[in-house]
Amino acid sequence: MSLIRMENIVKTYLSAGAETPVLKGIDLRIEEGEYASVIGPSGAGKSTLMTIMGCLGSPTSGRYILDGEEVETLNDAQLSRARNEKIGFVFQAFHLLPGVKAIDNVMMPLLYCHKVPADARERARESLETVGLGHRLHHSPGQLSGGEQQRVTIARALVNNPKIILADEPTGNLDSKNGAEVMRILDQLNREGRTIVIITHDPKVAQHGRRTISLMDGRILEDRRHESVTQFEGSPSRAGSA
Amino acid sequence: MRALRNLKEALRGLALHKSKTLLMTLGVVIGIASLTVIVAIGEGAKAKVLARISDMGFGPEAFSVAAGAGRLFFARTKTPTTLTLADVDDIRAMPTVQAAVPHQRQSMRMVYKRNNTFTRVYGVTPEWQSARLWKLSDGSFFTDEDMKRKAKVAVLGATPAGKLFGDEDPVGKMVRIGKVYFRVAGVLEKKGVTESGFDPDDRVIVPLSTSISRLFRQTWLFSIRIHTLDPSKVQETMEGVRQLLRKNHNLSVFAEDDFRFITPEGIMEWVTAEERALNRMLVLISAVSLLVGGIVIMNIMLVSIRERIREIGIRRCFGARRSDITQQFLFESIFVSILGGTAGCALGATISFILKKFHVLAAKPTWESFVVAFVFSAAVGLVFGIQPARKAASLSPEETIR
Ligand SMILES: Nc1ncnc2c1ncn2[C@@H]1O[C@H](COP(=O)(O)OP(=O)(O)OP(=O)(O)O)[C@@H](O)[C@H]1O
Ligand SMILES: [Mg+2]
Repeated sequence: MSLIRMENIVKTYLSAGAETPVLKGIDLRIEEGEYASVIGPSGAGKSTLMTIMGCLGSPTSGRYILDGEEVETLNDAQLSRARNEKIGFVFQAFHLLPGVKAIDNVMMPLLYCHKVPADARERARESLETVGLGHRLHHSPGQLSGGEQQRVTIARALVNNPKIILADEPTGNLDSKNGAEVMRILDQLNREGRTIVIITHDPKVAQHGRRTISLMDGRILEDRRHESVTQFEGSPSRAGSA
Repeated sequence: MRALRNLKEALRGLALHKSKTLLMTLGVVIGIASLTVIVAIGEGAKAKVLARISDMGFGPEAFSVAAGAGRLFFARTKTPTTLTLADVDDIRAMPTVQAAVPHQRQSMRMVYKRNNTFTRVYGVTPEWQSARLWKLSDGSFFTDEDMKRKAKVAVLGATPAGKLFGDEDPVGKMVRIGKVYFRVAGVLEKKGVTESGFDPDDRVIVPLSTSISRLFRQTWLFSIRIHTLDPSKVQETMEGVRQLLRKNHNLSVFAEDDFRFITPEGIMEWVTAEERALNRMLVLISAVSLLVGGIVIMNIMLVSIRERIREIGIRRCFGARRSDITQQFLFESIFVSILGGTAGCALGATISFILKKFHVLAAKPTWESFVVAFVFSAAVGLVFGIQPARKAASLSPEETIR
């Protein structure tokens, strides 16, 4: 059973009476443990695809089955639970809660759990340690560098142990050194068995995955499987540096 | 408990946006403070009237008739001249009347040596003292003999006695009332300022005959206090007095009474009617002030939600339900308005206290008004918070995260 299964997904935005077709029939399956990149030029519909994958918005038509569940049939509480338990988001613009300490930012998904774990704070701390930020627990986003902020968002995405990490341009706001560090963490997560979908317009970032899905004007142009660049390099920490 | 978590997030949000929180709180503070002060002033006014009733020393068998058409204390004519000593004699002759005490009254300046004071001067007959049951702390009350001789003797209330004489013994001393010198015969026992600020001791009593011919130089009376034989005779006596006075004053059948009755029941009735009118106004004022506070909250919440769209989106991405967002923002507005309500109560109590302390207004805060204010402020937060909170929750996550 595929973790992600999309059948003829169409998304058309309606604004000011004008229809903007963005996704024009996407068929896609992603299996558990895969490391896939969605690549394409600006405006191709990559982020739109991610919002549908992440149950943040519904398609205009088509079927989306996430981990065996027909997403269309889920109500708000069930969708929220799916986002909470199955998906971890990483955004280009970080999207951390401003003025809130790193540890509280990371703990936030646990607060919306069906049953809040008693060790929520401990788990948030561990998650921050995983991304090498054990010494920045009580810093708020404004007191962290861009690279550190992005690592906090990865810690936040990981904290509830989701099946999938959805990362939209995770290196887009970072310099090459910090970008490489973020990619190294994502590579490591995939090696540990986590399904990762990266959205990017940077072919070098896409090379980290073992599958590249090229999106162009709302359609899949190419879906290619390949070796991950990280597997050719001795030191994963230098991988992805441009 | 999801609600508890959302409450925590709400408190965090309020702490994070301090200036907005303060602004919203202020809106409610002003509304609630003005509400509690207004209620306190209303209560104070009521207490003042009630104190005045008890000060008049009405027993259940007594009532007053005052000169001039109108109601209770409020004459429609400035100086009615219709009530006379002849009326008093006729009333005394009625079988159900035990005593009828005529009163004249004016406010005048009193002087002793370098000291002077302004006080209410009463011209009465000697039976006043026994009718009012007011003891003397020094000297003696004037007598029938003084009354006959139109003696220039005065009995001082404790307030002018203190102001004019200080520690000196006033009895036997000469004081000037207006332009006339009086010998002080006695001093009335001190009753003390009522809670509402009315001072019953601020008065001077002189013989009626003296006030008529030497002091006020007027023959008409201010009022007549009538004591009946028995409380059950009050109604009957009042009707008799009415017929008598109408006949004495040559009023035609169509003319209205040129006098008014003052009874404890009448005053109570008036107070309750006044209170009802006041309460209606209070409801209106408080509704308006709370409405303003509520609108302030609603607008700031709406602005706040527009600014915090990203935060809402992030929470939704990581598992917040619509109901979580609604609760979070609703808790924010309710907490803010309860905070404002509490601060408003405290401010209102302080203002009431100051008004009373410095005798500006007889404000009397009651705990009921604070309970009501508190409940109302919570309701304001709920009512005016619902729309912004709903709006925040209705945003789709894909729009809020973009
Ligand atoms: N709410 C909306 N209403 C109308 N059009 C929209 C809306 N959201 C996105 N679009 C349009 O959909 C198209 C695809 O947007 P999307 O954000 O998915 O592109 P993208 O591939 O992520 O681009 P980029 O690489 O620049 O992030 C764009 O042309 C955009 O203008
Ligand atoms: Mg995009």
